[in-house]
Amino acid sequence: MGGQSLEVRRSSASLHGGATSLRSMPVVSKLIDTSTCIGCKACEVACQEWNDLPVVKTTQVGTYQTMPKTEANYWNLIKFDERALGDSVAWLMRKDQCMHCADPGCLAACPAPGAIVQYENGIVDVNPEACIGCKLCETGCPFDIPKYHVETSKMSKCTLCVDRVSVSLEPACVKACPTGCLHFGVKEDMVMLGNARVEQLKANGFPTAALYDPPGVGGTGVVTVLAHGDKPEWYGLPRDPQIPVAVSIWKKLLRPVGFIAIFGTLLGAVGHYMAVGPKQPKEPGPRA
Amino acid sequence: MSEAFPAHTHGDDAVSVARHREDVMVGDVIVRHRFLSRFIHWASAVSFIVCLLTGLPIWTPIFGWMAFLFGGLSVCRWLHPWAGAFFFAACAGMFVHWAKEMVLKGKEKEWLGPKMVAYLSFAGEDLTVGKYNGGQKILFWLTSLGAVGLGLSGLVLWFPELFPPLLREAGILIHDGAFIAFVVVMIGHVYLGTAAEPGTFSAMTRGTVTKPWARLHHPAWYREVTGDGDDRK
Repeated sequence: MGGQSLEVRRSSASLHGGATSLRSMPVVSKLIDTSTCIGCKACEVACQEWNDLPVVKTTQVGTYQTMPKTEANYWNLIKFDERALGDSVAWLMRKDQCMHCADPGCLAACPAPGAIVQYENGIVDVNPEACIGCKLCETGCPFDIPKYHVETSKMSKCTLCVDRVSVSLEPACVKACPTGCLHFGVKEDMVMLGNARVEQLKANGFPTAALYDPPGVGGTGVVTVLAHGDKPEWYGLPRDPQIPVAVSIWKKLLRPVGFIAIFGTLLGAVGHYMAVGPKQPKEPGPRA
Repeated sequence: MSEAFPAHTHGDDAVSVARHREDVMVGDVIVRHRFLSRFIHWASAVSFIVCLLTGLPIWTPIFGWMAFLFGGLSVCRWLHPWAGAFFFAACAGMFVHWAKEMVLKGKEKEWLGPKMVAYLSFAGEDLTVGKYNGGQKILFWLTSLGAVGLGLSGLVLWFPELFPPLLREAGILIHDGAFIAFVVVMIGHVYLGTAAEPGTFSAMTRGTVTKPWARLHHPAWYREVTGDGDDRK
């Protein structure tokens, strides 16, 4: 967790007082234009370097992809895929990392107070000191991003380089991208830029191009231009990501129901004792 | 028994007998649960309490203070699944130990309905009640079912990466629902075993109960063990 100068908008497992800020900050965002990504993986290397993450053994998955999915010490992964497109082929690559949802499922599922925070600028971050490594965030995330690391017994993921962002630098991946397919800035600007690119794509033979900013999680802090916007699955993106319904049921329904049931039963026992009293033999007899 | 300490020179005969035998009369008291029965019961009870106290602060931060009993939330997160595994094993032990005796026979199935309410109102007596009444048998099956639900869903929560997302979500809901139901049932169990029915708790500590207690709560068992006729019959 970096960015001590950043104010917190939301904090996991905080029933009251999770936010710390009076200041308003612009929400930041990263724009990924998959149509200009060349799959060079400079962003992967930059991410490992800036965040002091180790060299990780690669896995052959049959494509150029470094490994099947992001890992606890590998937060930025270009996902490669090939799809039949008429009598041609679509060769797809998308930079995968934490999407920094406006309504983060990881934060909603987290039971450890303050282990996952959302800063005023929208970045979703982990505080490893508070993380208990329960892996509930893995279930809460619709993008399969947070990963548990056995050495630390804690989860970790992309921080959107919050340490760089809080001193007005762009994230390391954006800095490293040689084609300009990555941009960083205020969310509105990124959405505008993305939409402009979508229009360009539509005018140039990609009629289904779209900007991926899914409303099910309140929009994301990483917006993605997809040339085949009608098929987000092609890029390994869920069509309509949502916070898992079980997480909402747990926190919003089962908690109050559980409280009422448990304390109701306790009160019931006390009431029963007062109204009906103990059941015992008229003459208790000798000590058992 | 060592030669240096022959039996019956000290201590309590009933307690000595209760180590190995149950359903026998020793002087004024009746042995209800031998040591093995009590051991299995307390193994599951203690592990349940550890699970409860380590699980509640994870369930909601309102109970965050409980985590400090164990040295913090991270300790709870580590301890909870192991205590859970122990609890599941203890419940499996209880199941093997008691399943045969706990089959609901004939009219005992009425306990699933209004008879339970009648019992809880402490009104009237049922002279056919043996060693375990219908309510206790239902408790046994609920406990076993709860242990299976908590154990299986707990396994999914312990190793979520091994299961598909839908199963993980089901794991959260089943663990949560089963835990709430289990606590509700256990509050009833502890209340009935202590304050509500004095004399019961010793059945699970020393293993013995008094004759008047047995005659009141388990009349058919009382007749069987003591061979006494019952003037109320």
